Amino acid sequence: MNYIELLDKQPDLVTPGTSACQGCPAELSLRSTLKVLGENTIMCIPPGCMAGAGCVGWNFDSGLKVPVHITLLDNTAAVLTGIKKSYEADGRDVTVASFAGDGATSDCGFQSLSAAAERGENVIYICYDNEGYMNTGFQRSGSTTKGSMTTTTPVGEVGKGKEQQKKDLPLIMAMHNPAYLATLSPSHMSDFVKKVEKAKSIKDGFVYLHIFSPCPTGWGFDGAKSIEVARKAVETNLFPLYEIDHGEYKFTVQNKNPKPVSELFGMMKKFRHVSEQGIQEVQNYVDKKYKILQSLVG
Amino acid sequence: MARDFITPKGDEGIYHIDTASWRTYKPVMNKDICIECGICLTYCPVNSIHKQNDQYIIDLSFCKGCGICANECPKKAIDMVLEGEK
Ligand SMILES: Cc1ncc(C[n+]2csc(CCOP(=O)(O)OP(=O)(O)O)c2C)c(N)n1
Ligand code: SF4
Ligand code: SF4
Ligand code: SF4
Ligand SMILES: [Mg+2]
Repeated sequence: MNYIELLDKQPDLVTPGTSACQGCPAELSLRSTLKVLGENTIMCIPPGCMAGAGCVGWNFDSGLKVPVHITLLDNTAAVLTGIKKSYEADGRDVTVASFAGDGATSDCGFQSLSAAAERGENVIYICYDNEGYMNTGFQRSGSTTKGSMTTTTPVGEVGKGKEQQKKDLPLIMAMHNPAYLATLSPSHMSDFVKKVEKAKSIKDGFVYLHIFSPCPTGWGFDGAKSIEVARKAVETNLFPLYEIDHGEYKFTVQNKNPKPVSELFGMMKKFRHVSEQGIQEVQNYVDKKYKILQSLVG
Repeated sequence: MARDFITPKGDEGIYHIDTASWRTYKPVMNKDICIECGICLTYCPVNSIHKQNDQYIIDLSFCKGCGICANECPKKAIDMVLEGEK
């Protein structure tokens, strides 16, 4: 089955009507992920846009067609561990996965995430990265790109957007030696599906998946362009697509002629105020990160 | 009793809202141009596009009218048409 047939035929395990914004790619990523993971899955979704959109349910009704728990913003990886261990004790092999925001992952829940990864728990931690605390009104997170206008990094006479560079969660998690790690973008669906399939097959350790998830409402662009924006992030190397399979680093999408990050910056309101120098600072950071990755791929 | 799966539910007991009512524009496929490639299906966040009898079709029951399908179609075979117009 090719990836298009798979996405067509596999049952959609998410409620048909979520309140995620028009054109929200996190909704696409959640549906596609669960089509691959299948019915033998237990999900953990901390507070955030996907929980808020009804995917964890409402008033005794469920938001998914598999069991789903709303965790705390800080303990998702610990809950995954407990559920997995409990089923293991019962002798049952179930896929236990999260779908957590970047705030829940890179900031609030990092301690439990780092601990579960270090212990090598056999769970799948999935982070969708919309670069901020979107569900509570677009506050900056550690994962927000430098220069971004958010409600806690406003732009005016004094403020010039976020002052710090984006925390590189995938590389930080790579240094935990997970059994499998990958970066995914909804713009590259064939690659996306392959990586979730691989994640599902891992039985000997921790899996970390990091999905880039542009946010039309918070970043300020038309929802019809969500996939275009995600694609541009890959083409500019702001979000390179790679995987690490038991220590083997590999680019899964080659980017021979990367585009300048200014092309991405021009697509949305959150970067509208950023000066040429500001863009250059992000470009330098992106180039430096890419060199590190290249040296790891070898 | 052990089953192959952990208590999946059918549509019963599933929370949902009427997202079709959000639409200002609705996607309309032009079958004279469509090459039945399925690209639109892979990008629809609402899972509204499926293959039926060898043709990709859009089910509008939950479609939010985001326009991603129209934007991503390589043949520009999908038009976003104002609701209420033909
Ligand atoms: C400990 C704690 N602090 C604050 C909140 C309020 N809160 C709910 S959702 C949310 C945003 C989470 O951001 P992220 O994880 O990036 O997910 P997103 O909303 O962006 O999808 C916050 C701050 C909370 N639920 N728990
Ligand atoms: S605020 Fe952004 S991430 Fe959250 S549901 Fe809307 S588009 Fe999706
Ligand atoms: S993407 Fe365009 S050409 Fe391909 S199936 Fe959809 S409407 Fe037809
Ligand atoms: S307009 Fe959006 S929700 Fe409707 S079919 Fe197209 S991609 Fe899906
Ligand atoms: Mg977020």
